[in-house]
Amino acid sequence: MAVYDVVDLTKIYPRQTTPANDRLTLSVAEGEIFGLLGDNGAGKTTLIRQMANLLAPTSGTIRLFGQPLGAAPLYVPGHIGYMPQDGLALNNLTVGETLYFTAHLRGLDRRDARAERDRLLDRLDLGTARDRLIVRLSGGQRRLAMLATTIAASPPVLLLDEPTNDLDPLHRRLVWDLVREINREQGLTIILVTHNVIEAERVIQRVGIMRGGRLIAVGRPGALKAGLNRQLRLEIVFAPGSPPALPPGPAPREVVPGRWQFLIEREAAPAYLAALNGNESVEDFSLSTATLEDLFLALAEQPV
Amino acid sequence: MNARRRTQSFPVQLWDLTLIQLANWRWSWRGMLLTSVIAPLLSTAALGTFAARDDPDTLAYILTGNVVFALLFGTFDKVATHFAYMRLVGRLDFFATLPVYRAALILATVTAFLVLALPAVAVTLLAGQAMLGLTLAPSPWLLVAVPLIGVSLCGLGALVGILVRSPEEVGSLSSLITFVLLGFGPVIIPPDRLPDIIETLSVLSPATYAASALRQTVLDMPDRIPLAVDFLALAGFLAGSLWVVGRRMDWRST
Repeated sequence: MAVYDVVDLTKIYPRQTTPANDRLTLSVAEGEIFGLLGDNGAGKTTLIRQMANLLAPTSGTIRLFGQPLGAAPLYVPGHIGYMPQDGLALNNLTVGETLYFTAHLRGLDRRDARAERDRLLDRLDLGTARDRLIVRLSGGQRRLAMLATTIAASPPVLLLDEPTNDLDPLHRRLVWDLVREINREQGLTIILVTHNVIEAERVIQRVGIMRGGRLIAVGRPGALKAGLNRQLRLEIVFAPGSPPALPPGPAPREVVPGRWQFLIEREAAPAYLAALNGNESVEDFSLSTATLEDLFLALAEQPV
Repeated sequence: MNARRRTQSFPVQLWDLTLIQLANWRWSWRGMLLTSVIAPLLSTAALGTFAARDDPDTLAYILTGNVVFALLFGTFDKVATHFAYMRLVGRLDFFATLPVYRAALILATVTAFLVLALPAVAVTLLAGQAMLGLTLAPSPWLLVAVPLIGVSLCGLGALVGILVRSPEEVGSLSSLITFVLLGFGPVIIPPDRLPDIIETLSVLSPATYAASALRQTVLDMPDRIPLAVDFLALAGFLAGSLWVVGRRMDWRST
């Protein structure tokens, strides 16, 4: 069953002529983890906000479990949990109060709402922040508190906009594990926007890639990457300040200082690696199949 | 999975949301209390100096008019400003994704402000009677009048806060509405000193009914508008504005 059916959705903001979302058509199935990827300004947040019924579309329709959004006042809020990209929604409440009130207002009785609060504080490593005001938390803790609030009382659909922003690697892993866990154990449908493509690839079951307000690819990561699978990703690390002196081949891209990446044809890889072995400035290298990030970058480089 | 989700009853929502809104004043309630007491008190004292001591009717209008200013327009202005703020920081989005009735959110917001307005009402009445030489004759209906007056403009406040995008513009607009409604009716100024056209138009203003209700329940003054009509008009204005803002208006961003 389709949780969301988006048909011909267009959003043009007031006093603008370029659509932020341009005739999007998309279906998200029940129980899947759907990732929305795209560069800044691609229209991901605009789409998510319309799916949460927080932003009025210019044209097109969105249905949630078959019902048009806005059919009944409490229909959408009764089914979704929405985590915005930023915001200090309840900055004068403590983390514990926020979780309790959210769970209670989502329909749990008082005892269950308290139990849900304690479970989430524990699961998201927020026990020490329970009695602290949200406004006084660090950026990472605030992000975790917002995620905990979003999933409180397990709404069947979660819309997560950049859930791992501001988090350290340990907590990013905690969030991805949690996303996988609640999807597997509770069957929740999760639609998430992220720039953290490599980490998200481990949990995303289907992906939509946006560019310039349009969906330029939708499908399973494996299927979408099929075209790239003839190529391998080679990552090479040089000593700081040492310029790359590489064998002739594809032009590498420096992802962080000293760390270079490029895609290389499978057949050409052994000879290239053999040539690289003689290069003493190379500190480390890794070879892997193409990732979702490679797909994203390959699509981003194509003309619109 | 698409089973019908449980929604809390309206009173439960109202209680939770009121506690959430009250938490906003955790650290600032002293300052808010002080400013809400001082404004009507100073206004009562200032206007009282211009009124003749042998004109109790005018003095009564000054006292009750200033209470209307604190109670009706004070909460109206605060609700409008608070809704604009909630929109700005994303709090309105948070509430819009919770299964709560908009009317419950508006009423909870005004209730939180009303709690802070009550001391201002009490201080203004008590200090005002001493300053103006009036004798209070409170009736039990005061217990209905005060909360009803306090909440009756909350729908209009939410409307202004949602429609007008910047908090600065909200402040200007709510001040304009306040002074128009205060001036265009027998609220602070007795009806015999108002032009006929304004007295006629004043039947459209909730401030007229709020002031009338207060004069009858605080000072036991006879009024051309019966108390029941005052209550019905204020309740009608509250229900109508909540219906428009809560059910008919699109809260989504454009």
